[in-house]
Amino acid sequence: MKRMITVTINGEEQELAVEPYRSLLDTLRVEAGLTGSKKGCNVGDCGACTVILDGRPVNSCLVLAAEVDNCDVRTIEGLQHAPDRVHALQDNFMQYGAAQCGFCTPGILIMGKALLDENPDPTEDEIRFALAGNICRCTGYTKIIEAIRHTARQLAEERQGVES
Amino acid sequence: MNASVIDTTAKGAVETEGRDGRGEDDGTIGRSVKRQDLLEKATGHAKFAGDIVLPGMLHGKIKRSDVAHARIRRIDTSKALALPGVKAVLTHENVPRVLHYGSPHPRSASVTRDQYIFDNKVRYWGEGIAAVAAISEEIAEEALDLIEVEYEELPAVFTLDEATAADAPQVHDRGPGGNQVIDPIRVSRGDVDSGFAEADLILEGEFEFGRPTACYMEPNICVSQWDGNDKLTMWSSTQTAFMVRGILAEVLGVPLNRVRVLVDHMGGGFGAKQDLFQHEFLCALLARETRRPVRMEFSRKETFLGGRSRHPGTMYLKQGFRRDGTITARQARITLNTGAYGSHGPGVTTVGTTALTSLYRCNNVDLEGRCIYTNTPIAGAFRGYGVVQVYYGLDIQLDEAAEALGMDPVELKLRNAVREGDLAPSGHPIIGHGLEDCLRRGAEEVNWGPVRQATRNQDGVYRRGWGVGCEMHGSSAYPGIKEQGNATVKMNEDGTVTLLTGAAGLGTGAHTALAQIVAEELGVAFEDVSVVHGDTDIVPWDIGAFASHTTFMVGRAAQQAAADIRQQLLAQAALRLERDAADLAVRRGRIVAVDGSGSSLSVREAVSPTPGIPAAHLIANGTYTPTKSYSFAAHFVEVEVDTETGQIRVLQVVPVHEFGKVIHPVAAAGQIEGGIQQGIGHTLSEDYVVDTSNGRSLNAGFVDYKMPLAMDMPPIRTIMLETAPDPGGPFGAKGIGEDPIIAIGPAIANAVYDAIGVRFHCYPITPERVINALAGTD
Ligand code: FES
Ligand code: FES
Repeated sequence: MKRMITVTINGEEQELAVEPYRSLLDTLRVEAGLTGSKKGCNVGDCGACTVILDGRPVNSCLVLAAEVDNCDVRTIEGLQHAPDRVHALQDNFMQYGAAQCGFCTPGILIMGKALLDENPDPTEDEIRFALAGNICRCTGYTKIIEAIRHTARQLAEERQGVES
Repeated sequence: MNASVIDTTAKGAVETEGRDGRGEDDGTIGRSVKRQDLLEKATGHAKFAGDIVLPGMLHGKIKRSDVAHARIRRIDTSKALALPGVKAVLTHENVPRVLHYGSPHPRSASVTRDQYIFDNKVRYWGEGIAAVAAISEEIAEEALDLIEVEYEELPAVFTLDEATAADAPQVHDRGPGGNQVIDPIRVSRGDVDSGFAEADLILEGEFEFGRPTACYMEPNICVSQWDGNDKLTMWSSTQTAFMVRGILAEVLGVPLNRVRVLVDHMGGGFGAKQDLFQHEFLCALLARETRRPVRMEFSRKETFLGGRSRHPGTMYLKQGFRRDGTITARQARITLNTGAYGSHGPGVTTVGTTALTSLYRCNNVDLEGRCIYTNTPIAGAFRGYGVVQVYYGLDIQLDEAAEALGMDPVELKLRNAVREGDLAPSGHPIIGHGLEDCLRRGAEEVNWGPVRQATRNQDGVYRRGWGVGCEMHGSSAYPGIKEQGNATVKMNEDGTVTLLTGAAGLGTGAHTALAQIVAEELGVAFEDVSVVHGDTDIVPWDIGAFASHTTFMVGRAAQQAAADIRQQLLAQAALRLERDAADLAVRRGRIVAVDGSGSSLSVREAVSPTPGIPAAHLIANGTYTPTKSYSFAAHFVEVEVDTETGQIRVLQVVPVHEFGKVIHPVAAAGQIEGGIQQGIGHTLSEDYVVDTSNGRSLNAGFVDYKMPLAMDMPPIRTIMLETAPDPGGPFGAKGIGEDPIIAIGPAIANAVYDAIGVRFHCYPITPERVINALAGTD
């Protein structure tokens, strides 16, 4: 039996009919047509499906769609500020070559955003710790960590610029 | 902004053809231009095969065997077919029975024809035996459980010892016998007996290799659709779209122009996505039978069961050394376990065996490689293709020899390093002194002598050590496969350029490198070149993305096509400028006289229509049939061993790579860093384990199969040299994809020895092995 849920996805409220066993990941990908979140394992081991649920990063493959009724979900498609204006993290991932095949990238970008929201000036170890659940098999993480650190510095400078 | 360094100082900058005397800063080669695929990837808009949704699409699932070796006595699908929502069920009884190659290089010596889509036998635990298409994944899963199978179990062999025993049960009825896939590969040069007689020191050792797997992040996936004209379109995550097309067409009995394979972005492959997998046939057949699109996606567990691992195996290695360190003889017996099917086994065995003729020069070699079937999951192609295994043992034995001879390992490796003019494994003379350059540069970078000295006489719980490992690897699969790279370049009437290539985009940035090569050759801006790829109906034929050859081989073809376009362009400009084309050149997007005289034209003006002259139609093909070139590396590694837990931590890596010409520094360094991650993995933790009592896979998932993640990865300081450019590659460039995964392994093993004085002749060097070894030696 499908049931209706109301969920705000990337700032837009939507009504979706979901099966009780349907994961949030499948709901986003199939019902909402947002295929940016990836399925690398479907059992919570890889982080490719990471989205921000009510302000906290989660593996969307482990969350049932029925649980997110009245919740706020942010996916990779909602990370950029405008169609032609990407988030500083996205820009730096491109600059630093922090994505190769790109399959882990949406999940890692979302995790990076969640980290910087909570801790605007993370150390290298804190970044590594935050990414502990995100598998990237292409990059060795070197450039991912450089990109996140650089973003943190950039955002800090922007904030200072605003203050002064 | 970037920790990696390009060092061209060792022998000066490289002279390249095709630059038309333009200044250094004009070029796009060597600059980390904005990769054309990253915006889509960073915004979530990149389309992978799994993102394709078609109206009426069904979901396919594969039933896998729960025995390791058996004849299928009876298979009953009636209950599954009766389940509402199930549209088709396939078994060995209703699929075409065509014996086919597993790996898609049908006309090469690297592969063997030993697979059916489904056989009436199963040869390993987890092999597919039936497939279902249903209106949802859940119903398809449910239907799998309703399929009844009765097996007649057969005696099985799980280890190399069991498979090669005198009266071993045979996995296949084909091949030369004794569970061999092919006759042994034998390579001999000179005279090993006299070589050993000359030696002052003889070392011998047995090495054992685990079973790492590629673990690309995107599980295997394909979507199939037949149109009203009986033409198949397949979206698949494959490195070898044209090969998939070829084998599919052969097995399905349709001509090539009725099979179209599409692959846009793919979530990694690392070599292991170049077989034609069971699900690709099954997806096409289910779609044909149901007349509806069918999607078939592996679960993560299935990427282990139905995917391809590196070959586990053993090696016996014996070498003779003179007191001054010169190697006098080398003898090796390599045995690789290919699992239930040949896949790339013959190629891997050949490449691995012949690799031992080189790296460290030796005139007297006697090598034998064998490839053996067992009732275990299939081993196939994976980055480093046989070379990972043999150079692990070879380099460790050099380290042992250095100690026995009282020499520094860097000194010993330099003494024996392959040099300009030496015969490479492919039979070609080596170009340049790449390996020596890497060793010298790395030793200087890490301050080798003093840092090694600092690790003497440690007695704490944590002990540190430094090690060095070396490798060389060929770009292109020649001579095993006679390869061919193709490219088509078109110039549009506004002066922009389109490159058509069949090379797959695994995520390495290869398409960007190809666009850079075209821009450089043509003298236009990188931003003006776009790349079309991934559609077998449109782009020129391509052998596939593997063997570190895309930038090298397809790059050269693209360069040729671009050079042709440049000539056509100059002819057009000559018409408009009323000058001789030979006096003209393209510089920064403008056509100018070589001597600077007269007026100039923009590229756009030269090709767009003007009164009396129609728009130019410029199109050119390039085809390049390469032999082989070799890239080199030395990795310097510091480790720390916890002598209580046996845990090994890699503290830092300084990889020094020589690959002729760095086209895109960030992408190239990314290849190196990612390869090191996978190399640390197979050296310290990654091992896909099969229960040797029943053939079951024991760790087919990311929790139990342990890969190095963000917390485990050390800082990596990459150095890239351009000291041995290959005139066969575009602007001297050689391959880089496979090299980085090879040298890191022995570097770590040697560093562990430096730290705790224990030699490991195996990988992975797990904490358990460390603890046991320390207990045994204490
Ligand atoms: S797909 Fe959700 S954690 Fe892997
Ligand atoms: S970029 Fe391929 S898995 Fe991270």
